[in-house]
Amino acid sequence: MDDYVITVLSNIGMISFIGLSAYLLLVTGEISFGQQAYFGLGAYAAGAVTAMFLLPIWVGILVGACVAGGIAMVVGALTLRLSGLYFSISTLAFAEMVRLILLIVHVQVEVEGEMVGPAGAEGFHGIRWMFERDLSLAHFMLLIYGLLALVLIVLLLVERSRLGSVFRMLGSDDLLAEMQGLDTVRYRILAAGVAGVISGIGGALYAHFTTYVEPQFFNVMLGVHALAYGLIGGLGTAFGPFIGVAIDIGFLESVRFIQGYRMIVFGGLAAVLLIFMPRGILDEERVHRLKTLFRRRNHAGAQRR
Amino acid sequence: MIDFIQNTVDGVMFGSSYALLAIGFTIVFGVMRRLNLAFGASIMLGAYMGTWLHVHYQVHVLVVAVTTVACTVLVGIYVERLCFHAVRRDAALASMVSSFVIWMQLEEAAIHLLPERTYAFPGLFAAGSYEAGPFLFRTEQTAMLLLAAVMVGALHLLLHRTRFGLALRATSENPLAAAYMGIHRTWTVLCAFVLMSLAGGVAGFAILATDQQITPFFGLWATFKGLIAMMLGGMGSLPGAILGGLLLGVVEAHALWYLGAEYRDLSAFLLLFAMLVSRPGGLLGQRILSREELAFRRV
Repeated sequence: MDDYVITVLSNIGMISFIGLSAYLLLVTGEISFGQQAYFGLGAYAAGAVTAMFLLPIWVGILVGACVAGGIAMVVGALTLRLSGLYFSISTLAFAEMVRLILLIVHVQVEVEGEMVGPAGAEGFHGIRWMFERDLSLAHFMLLIYGLLALVLIVLLLVERSRLGSVFRMLGSDDLLAEMQGLDTVRYRILAAGVAGVISGIGGALYAHFTTYVEPQFFNVMLGVHALAYGLIGGLGTAFGPFIGVAIDIGFLESVRFIQGYRMIVFGGLAAVLLIFMPRGILDEERVHRLKTLFRRRNHAGAQRR
Repeated sequence: MIDFIQNTVDGVMFGSSYALLAIGFTIVFGVMRRLNLAFGASIMLGAYMGTWLHVHYQVHVLVVAVTTVACTVLVGIYVERLCFHAVRRDAALASMVSSFVIWMQLEEAAIHLLPERTYAFPGLFAAGSYEAGPFLFRTEQTAMLLLAAVMVGALHLLLHRTRFGLALRATSENPLAAAYMGIHRTWTVLCAFVLMSLAGGVAGFAILATDQQITPFFGLWATFKGLIAMMLGGMGSLPGAILGGLLLGVVEAHALWYLGAEYRDLSAFLLLFAMLVSRPGGLLGQRILSREELAFRRV
């Protein structure tokens, strides 16, 4: 595989993290415009750990995920009372605050004769953990997809568990959930925290893949794209966001003759799609139908044997 | 003290354009309970059409103004048909995401129309200023304030003195009851979009004529400012939108003066976040919020 293909595939993988993060909140019935904030916080925290304190990358990813998750829980607790559009706009405001603060923050330390650290609008250069260890892009891509598979497995397990049902219940009717005796406050904060962690892992990987992060990358466009991926792919299963990302980055990036007109094509396609499938390609109904189809086929196969 | 008053005056003048953008948002939100994220982008595309005429044919500034407003309205109708009318009525989320992808589409179309980073936008007057006592007023900003005041007055008359205004207010108060009274919902929503685009087009022209330049970031900027101003004042409230716009302008002017340029936007988002956490209904929308909550509880 050449570097271009690897870069595109890695981008799909990294953006999928933030897509999954937005998807998780969508399932619980919250529309967040602000998941890019946790992506950015994860990237900065992980970059600081490996580039400024020279610790290994797994510590960086862990710290990135924890920082993002912790802050997401605090924000989740602050915005508990809000619902619908009020919640969406508050997440947007928070994410823009984070981005604008990162534009001002200027903390640098001297590492091996060089100043390393976040430098305001110039960004955070020199996160070279990967290159210092002679890891190729392909190796790093494996790391990205390994972690992505891990996150996906956890999400799929959650979806089959009681917690998954609770999340979907919050999404369809939180008043009813409360009347069932569920502690909706705790579950909401939990969902916000998990979504933050997922996004933070993606950010941590992104920082090390590009060796350089700047606040401008974590603008609202990233967050709303993540939201759109979740919705276009479908709200029925955690595979949904991948379909969205794959359509946007994978398919449209690779078709040459629409270069430069990508958003016009993607925008039109997505808008028409949402008319016919308002809950995405793999919505709950279709996922359920697919599942019964599989089950029936397996069943038939077992009987024949 | 003089600085403080001068900043406040500047803020109010600039805030008047935010108020117009917020009014656009709040009209459609009131009628549909949905957010049109493509609002800023449709103003931008309209203004790009006007600029395109100006760049290629050096037309008069009034032609630019009319083109800007007319094209904004046309784009607004396109957005309404594609993202709001066609999408199922119970899928508010799909509408919002759909309007977002159309935002991206419109922005790219605008950039294809005029590919460079900045273009000069014709001003209504030459930049000038006049003094009143110790205070300085810029001519074009004063014109913007007056234009905003006229627009708000006309809107008020339209909403409170005409049958159409009554229909619009009835639909936003209670869509079902309005439908029983024989108010055509689809038509009212389309008219609300036209009204939104009109307000947006005028605001866009006024802002750009004051800045005398246009960049591809205008769409995002307009959406953000309008959204913040609407939320500050209270979603769905017209006086709230005006108040929110003015408040946003004043806070930004003070932040710019006392803290520096990089704190200008930060202060706006901080104010918005604090307002939403402590008082979600904004300055004047608390009643609307509690009414909606009440309706929700009853169901």
